[in-house]
Amino acid sequence: MRARSTFEQELTDLQQDILRLASLTEETIYRAVQFLLQQDAAGANQIISGDVLIDKLAQEIEDKCVKLIATQQPIAHDLRLSITSLKFLVSLERMADYAVDIARATLYIYGYPLNRQLMEYTSKMSRVVQQMIKEALDAYVNNDAQRAREMCSLDDEVDFISAKIFQEAIRAMREKTQPQIVIPAVYFLLISRYLERIADHATNIGEEVIFLITGEKRELN
Amino acid sequence: MIKNNIWRAIINYFFILLIFLAILQFYFFYHLNLGWALLTSFIFALGLGWIFFKQVISPLKKINTVTKAISQGNLNQELPLYEQKEVSQLAQNINDLVRQQKKILAQITAEKNRMQTILNSMTEGVVALDNQGNVLLLNSAVENFLGVTREAYLGKNILNLIRNYDLERAVKQALKSERPITQEFQLIYPEPNFYYLKATPLKNQEQEKEGIVLLLRNITKEKKLDQMRTEFVANVSHELRTPLTSISGFLETLREGAIDDPAAAHRSLEIMSQETNRLAKLIDELLHLSKIEERRVVHRWQLVQLKEIINQVAVTFQPQAQQKSLTLTVEIPVELPSISGDPDLLAQVLTNLVDNSIKYTLPGGQVLIRATTYRDNVQVEVKDTGIGIPPEDLPRVFERFYRVEKARARELGGIGVGLAIVKHIIKAHGGSIKAESIPNQGSSFKVTLPAEVRSEM
Ligand SMILES: Nc1ncnc2c1ncn2[C@@H]1O[C@H](COP(=O)(O)OP(=O)(O)OP(=O)(O)O)[C@@H](O)[C@H]1O
Ligand SMILES: [Mg+2]
Repeated sequence: MRARSTFEQELTDLQQDILRLASLTEETIYRAVQFLLQQDAAGANQIISGDVLIDKLAQEIEDKCVKLIATQQPIAHDLRLSITSLKFLVSLERMADYAVDIARATLYIYGYPLNRQLMEYTSKMSRVVQQMIKEALDAYVNNDAQRAREMCSLDDEVDFISAKIFQEAIRAMREKTQPQIVIPAVYFLLISRYLERIADHATNIGEEVIFLITGEKRELN
Repeated sequence: MIKNNIWRAIINYFFILLIFLAILQFYFFYHLNLGWALLTSFIFALGLGWIFFKQVISPLKKINTVTKAISQGNLNQELPLYEQKEVSQLAQNINDLVRQQKKILAQITAEKNRMQTILNSMTEGVVALDNQGNVLLLNSAVENFLGVTREAYLGKNILNLIRNYDLERAVKQALKSERPITQEFQLIYPEPNFYYLKATPLKNQEQEKEGIVLLLRNITKEKKLDQMRTEFVANVSHELRTPLTSISGFLETLREGAIDDPAAAHRSLEIMSQETNRLAKLIDELLHLSKIEERRVVHRWQLVQLKEIINQVAVTFQPQAQQKSLTLTVEIPVELPSISGDPDLLAQVLTNLVDNSIKYTLPGGQVLIRATTYRDNVQVEVKDTGIGIPPEDLPRVFERFYRVEKARARELGGIGVGLAIVKHIIKAHGGSIKAESIPNQGSSFKVTLPAEVRSEM
């Protein structure tokens, strides 16, 4: 009985840890995009140096999680919870890495003339992506499988805007009058790629939440 | 249980009666009719048992079920009063107790509701957490800040409610500390807002820590104001610096020999005088603005005929308009209600608006001043066919020193306080101003002022 309740406590703690990491990742992505749009080099540097903290936190939680599985040998729902936690960890850490990539890109295009249209598309895309992250995490917090399912449909919008960015970047680069536009255009292409990958990870989290609640495995896109 | 009791009582009665009858028979008849004694004792025992059951056991049974219900929280119970005095007394006492309990409960509920109402009427967010960081209560302000409903988060960890790293760290620290902790943090959802947090330890009567209370204040507006103030200072310094640099530059050229070249000297002096005027104008406007903002302008509050003011301003600007080949027209209905206000300040409003329209309209364009009545308001519109204002700049033109394309406006001699002054004056008059514009087609500024309905103020 006693062993059981400490195990439950450990599981709850693990969930808190995941949420803590999620909060950091969520904020980091928001800030990275914000600094990109505001052309804030100092801010971008902050994001890059902040990644150490995220990696450290993720490592700690992973150790805890592995130890928990090894020593307590959870079954059924508890097992699912432990395994999804591990998967969340990986996704969250990868997402934060993409935020760092965005921050790096911000530094590379710093000082170049920027294409307004590309900025606008990127801003729009980032809003959708952040919405997806939020919905996925909210679904996790509230045990809401329906919400997780709905959130995954936002992925289509991400793809749509991403295609637009592609077109606009190509168009801008073809214009021979402004050769300086090429470098930022290339980086905006990369950034849209990063955002797409972040969205994919958000979708993964959504799928895991559904698996966690219903026990069913399903590809959502 | 009860059945058992009643049989025990009957058996007791039975034996007492049996012994009594037996002794009685020995005493009077010297022989024992056991059959008769048994039967009589049994019948009487049954009767006595029945009375006992009616008067004691059955009421006790009732009391038993009722008190059980009460202990489970159901206070809507009332016991009937019984014949038997002691039992009746007991029932009476229990009824009193229940009534008392009900009253106390009602008081506590009322107190609780009052606290909840107070909490919910606060503009600050309040969240109480237990020692584990789980949510005990939260008020409406928090629900509004976060766009959540409280039921979903009671008993859950704070991280579920507010997913913010800085906040959680502060909470953890506060849970360990005996002293209040403060922290600023930014929430991204539902809108990016800044908050000030104060986490205070929560103690029970024994002075043991039971958790913490979080007080959250939305400080987004203050942050923005702060930023505007910083920008303002930077702007003013810049505005003062530019003419000064130019003046000192030309002074330098004069000193280095230009003074001996009459033509060059003349040109230098010309520019220096222009820049000096610019500085003087800037400082005047700054002083004026700060006076209006601090409401230090002595208002000559009186009934004002807007018609006169409009015509006056139009006449003043007519030469300037003609010079730029603009047509300046005025449209005023015959009946225009008067308003109460300061005529000089209101003239200043129109002057600034018409000045802008003339400044920012290309030759050949039109400027129109039109007054109308709308419900209990007078509306004055200054409309032009000028270069217009891009939509992203439109919300900001009323800020101090805000100019669309600084270089362009500077060429025209603008320093960007005209509309800020207009806005303050209108506000002081209880009115409002709205700007609309389409780039390259024109702009319109609509001033709405409350009409004076009474004859004298
Ligand atoms: N009618 C108009 N048409 C186009 N742009 C306008 C108009 N009115 C204002 N603006 C824009 O709004 C800005 C702010 O106007 P404001 O009157 O406050 O400053 P200003 O005209 O530049 O300087 P000043 O303090 O001398 O009036 C201007 O710089 C101009 O860009
Ligand atoms: Mg002006």
